[in-house]
Amino acid sequence: MSNTSVINASYLNLSYHDESSEIIKDASFTINKGDFVFITGPSGSGKSTLLKALYGKLKPFSGDLNVGGLDMNEISNKNLQKLRQNLGIIFQDYKLINEWSVEKNVALPLIIAGYSKDIQHTQAKRLLTHVKLLDHIYKKPLELSGGEQQRVGVARALSKNPFLILADEPTGNLDEYSSNVIWDLMENTCEQLNTTVVVVTHKIPNIFSIPYRHLIIENRGIYEIH
Amino acid sequence: MKFIKNHITFILPLMAVLIGLEFYFVFERTTKNYEEGLKNNYSMLIVAHDKVDIEYLRTLNSHIATIEEVKKDSIVDEISKGLKDSSKASLSKILPHFYNTKLDTYLSMDDISTIKADLEKSNKIKSVETFDNSHNSTYKLFVFLKFIFKIFILFIGIVSFFLIFKQMEVWSLTHRERMNIMEIFGAPLFLRSAVMYRIAVTDAFFSSIFISLVFVYLKYNWASSSGIEILMHNRELIFEFSDFFKMLGISLAIVITSVYLVVSNMKDES
Repeated sequence: MSNTSVINASYLNLSYHDESSEIIKDASFTINKGDFVFITGPSGSGKSTLLKALYGKLKPFSGDLNVGGLDMNEISNKNLQKLRQNLGIIFQDYKLINEWSVEKNVALPLIIAGYSKDIQHTQAKRLLTHVKLLDHIYKKPLELSGGEQQRVGVARALSKNPFLILADEPTGNLDEYSSNVIWDLMENTCEQLNTTVVVVTHKIPNIFSIPYRHLIIENRGIYEIH
Repeated sequence: MKFIKNHITFILPLMAVLIGLEFYFVFERTTKNYEEGLKNNYSMLIVAHDKVDIEYLRTLNSHIATIEEVKKDSIVDEISKGLKDSSKASLSKILPHFYNTKLDTYLSMDDISTIKADLEKSNKIKSVETFDNSHNSTYKLFVFLKFIFKIFILFIGIVSFFLIFKQMEVWSLTHRERMNIMEIFGAPLFLRSAVMYRIAVTDAFFSSIFISLVFVYLKYNWASSSGIEILMHNRELIFEFSDFFKMLGISLAIVITSVYLVVSNMKDES
């Protein structure tokens, strides 16, 4: 694991409104390339808010936040689009485009980046094989189970070889079996590609075979548990 | 079915705008043609002390298009029945010159009064007869019809615009989720809204082609048996090929503006 910083927060404050309603207060942490990080905390503690700040959905209220070398306080619209094109994001509610096929959903980051149809198809097939959904390539997301839809979400997150994967409660809607499949996929990804992964979850899985870091959000602060 | 419904509910108001627009083109051409007829039938009579020519009159007012001198002999013959030839010659000498004057366009009575005043400022001109009564009533009727028709077209336009925007709201709901997901993954605005633009532009083409075909049919199959004299004799007034491009341009402007408004007002819910 190298020590190149991928995310760096310094005295970060996050709020949707004003100082009095800060959700995260004076948080400082660094996440390096190849780190697998779980961020846990009780409901409403600000886990998803932090994730939104990491992909530029919410601007820091004050303090510094740097993602992939970009200052999230000053980031331009164009740079934000570029940053998001190089992230893999996984949501609890999958956020798949229901009128598109599974293949097209997986290829979405490649479509946005302007890759050719051949590359889109090849990459989608490769990833759907990886998540064991090749048989469903031409189906629509609503024809799949929740676990299968989330595997499509994982495949989409990986399709453009992102430098950082952000996952917001990726197993929150899944049964135990499907959750284990998703964790396996994420472990493999981090291990094989040395990609940085940040997972927001209310519970760390019992069986997790690769080394990981654990940040906890408590009383609006972010602390690391060693 | 939902796809067809989405298109139809957008195409119908767009067609209403285009029909109104095409009627307006037809009306403009027809009235222009009619104006031309009125203009050609209208003339002023200029009574001048000395001979005048068109250039001189144009220096007084630029609306003078043509002049034609009324032969003095015919006037003298008319008013000197029973007089001797020598008396006729004397009469001819003392008679002023008479000119029939046509204008370059169809003008209101105020404009004609201005022309009359301009001409009468000249020492060479004794008086100008404008025959304003018949001209004025025809002109007022004409202006009134034009006004009523424009109000009607405007009304159709406003109602149709409301329907188009209503349909756009439906579209924004249909496409919102997809566009939000694409935004999360860094898609620029144009790419996020490309589907809506594509549908809207297709509908604009379809509507323009359909309305053009309807008017082509009216031109070649209906006009000659319509019983409307001005259309029976001037079939070409109903549709011109350039109308298709005008309709296409306007419908594209409407749909692109509508999509842009919807897309830029779309609230991000991701």
